[in-house]
Amino acid sequence: MDLNFTPEEQAFRQQIRSWVAEHLPKDISHKVHNALRLSKDDLQRWAKILGRQGWHGWAWPKQFGGPGWNAIQRHLFEEECALAGAPRVVPFGPVMVAPVIMAFGSPEQQRRHLPGIMSGDVWWSQGYSEPGSGSDLASLKCRAERRGDYYVVNGQKTWTTLGQYGDWIFCLVRTDSSGKPQTGISFLLIDMKSPGITVRPIITMDGEHEVNEVWFDNVEVPADNLVGEENKGWTYAKYLLAHERTNIADVNRSKRELERLKRIAKAENVYGDMRFRDEVAKLEVEIVALEMMVLRVLSAETSGKQSLDVAGLLKIRGSEIQQRLTELLMLAAGPYSVPFIHDAMEAGWQGDHVGAAYCAPLAATYFNVRKTTIYGGSNEVQRNIVAQTVLG
Amino acid sequence: MDFDFSDDQEMLRDSVRKWVAKGYDAERRRRIVQAGGFSREAWRELADLGLTGLFVPEAHGGMGFGPTDAMVVMEELGRGLVLEPYAQGALVAGGVLSACAPQPAIDGWLGRIAGGDALVVLAHQERGARYRIAHVETAAKAAGDGWTLSGAKSVVPAGDQADAFIVPARVSGAVDDPAGIALFLVERRAAGVKTRGYGSADGARAAELSLADAPATLLVPAGGPGGGGHAALELAVDIGIAALCAEAVGAMEQLVAVTVEYMNTRKQFGVAIASFQALRHRIADVKMQLELARSMSYFATLKMNEPAAARRRALAQAKYQLGVSMRFVGQQCIQLHGGIGVTDEYIAGHYFKRLTVMELSFGDTLHQLGEVSDRMQDTAGVFA
Repeated sequence: MDLNFTPEEQAFRQQIRSWVAEHLPKDISHKVHNALRLSKDDLQRWAKILGRQGWHGWAWPKQFGGPGWNAIQRHLFEEECALAGAPRVVPFGPVMVAPVIMAFGSPEQQRRHLPGIMSGDVWWSQGYSEPGSGSDLASLKCRAERRGDYYVVNGQKTWTTLGQYGDWIFCLVRTDSSGKPQTGISFLLIDMKSPGITVRPIITMDGEHEVNEVWFDNVEVPADNLVGEENKGWTYAKYLLAHERTNIADVNRSKRELERLKRIAKAENVYGDMRFRDEVAKLEVEIVALEMMVLRVLSAETSGKQSLDVAGLLKIRGSEIQQRLTELLMLAAGPYSVPFIHDAMEAGWQGDHVGAAYCAPLAATYFNVRKTTIYGGSNEVQRNIVAQTVLG
Repeated sequence: MDFDFSDDQEMLRDSVRKWVAKGYDAERRRRIVQAGGFSREAWRELADLGLTGLFVPEAHGGMGFGPTDAMVVMEELGRGLVLEPYAQGALVAGGVLSACAPQPAIDGWLGRIAGGDALVVLAHQERGARYRIAHVETAAKAAGDGWTLSGAKSVVPAGDQADAFIVPARVSGAVDDPAGIALFLVERRAAGVKTRGYGSADGARAAELSLADAPATLLVPAGGPGGGGHAALELAVDIGIAALCAEAVGAMEQLVAVTVEYMNTRKQFGVAIASFQALRHRIADVKMQLELARSMSYFATLKMNEPAAARRRALAQAKYQLGVSMRFVGQQCIQLHGGIGVTDEYIAGHYFKRLTVMELSFGDTLHQLGEVSDRMQDTAGVFA
């Protein structure tokens, strides 16, 4: 047993740190460090910078143009990016659809889609949830009917994060209604410029346009865009879930945000209040414990000696911690979290702030992050999964 | 970074687990509880396995092992609810004496500790101190070549069975001044030493210790801030905390296993109670606390060789997490059992009681939260 990274791993970390320091635009990290609004351009600029280095798909194997890093190297890369204030990589392309295309897609699909994902040029969205299919995802109804060389897609997807920017969308669609719900689902890649697709914004309670409804009205999709076999989509979707590793816990960003919480609590004169400070102390222990759990998973993955089935626990704990952080950040600013000035959450705003500038987005962020215990399989669904592994 | 156990550690685990399974079953444990909560015979068996010498250097007849080995042993003793104060008599005594004591004390005691012939335990709790270890009223007086101690110590593990005590006493300064604390060794059979033994809430044994001009051997002199006897006492407590975290993980793991088995066999409304979602979510929350606890037990053990300030911070964090986890896992596993859980006959209540006592040992959860809070830095995380 050894808690420390090897000299080689530390050298790797240093190399990543220098690279990020040199390449991450300061205007972007300023926004991230202060929870200010990120534009499409900000996100895509960073994606393309990573893409030029071959790191936008940082978890990809070498054969598909990735760096071929092991679990620990991937973790160190994610941590260095997070601590430096890099925006979260929009995961739908490089983290979600790419591994499915690598594992189940045709050579033609791999050749066609993977380079654009790696370079950051093609923006992908995810079409999973539907109005009637949230936690019960397998009940989805969005229909794809085979007509010659095409599928004709009809139905609706929802909660499509940043779908307003999407070039392509990967969808779970119903291709068979005769058997069990899970056995009639297919995995389809759809060009969002296809006729018949409408994207409508959903404004969330923080006032932001982050998620969308996507409507499909007789959309023709070439049959070549089917990934793998028809009616096997559920298997591929589950593979994707299993593929999401420790970054589900997002512990690196939580460490960064805890440090920010301490700075803001000091500036707002509440860090010396024992009752407040003890709440921060609890969170500090929770974050160390979560990080240890993440490191245990990385070690297990790297050595292959033990198997650790704790993805559900990482999701539950990671999301709870993110919420508690935004809660305490808002409480630290106290009454100065009340003013809700839309423009003040924009970098470079020249108006008069109420309280310190860092107070402006705290309530909005708190509102926004309520999503984390709901998305990606709600925490209640995660508890079902954990219970299944415990009880057999 | 590596969280795998070595082959030697797996063998060590196996040997302790086998001893617990064969030699320390529930029936024997019950007999030991009824006989007062401590068995010299069981202690002898631990010594025969070499375990009492775990932290004692090989030159003195021990194994010279490190914190991870201790963690492995403690997990298994926790799983078996072993009553004898192994963490104290082997790890704290062996660890502190070999790290801090002068040569004559090392020569006189370490071999006997390793061989199981001497049970030496830490006697640091005082009536007015709660969990503040710098609060020491017991007074040390220089007497000729040696020292004498006067004062009282509480809740000393197996105190009326031990052969000697490691005793913090004050040579100078105000009642809470760390710089005036020295560590001494006091033999139980020496003049002026009295013990009053009793059973503890978990079925183990403890004692009140009173010292009236009792002759004592100086182990660690008082030092400046952060040094000397107080630093050695902190080390002793941290060895105890790390051991207790591991013991708690073993105990919780077994209690959860017992609870899961019960949920899968107990039927109500015609089905196994494991089918009810309210209970499934509860066991998921229990599993969460168990894995957080295990993570922090590893953290505590792997920080034992860090410089004192970093070690102290980590150990406070670990004990806080373990306190939260022990209370939650203990309470919920009793609840998940229903009525059978509160009976004396069934094993779950014995785990619950042990977990409860462990929370109260070496600083409870609120105390540790205060320690964490006081020691917070601007940076955060495992490597902060």
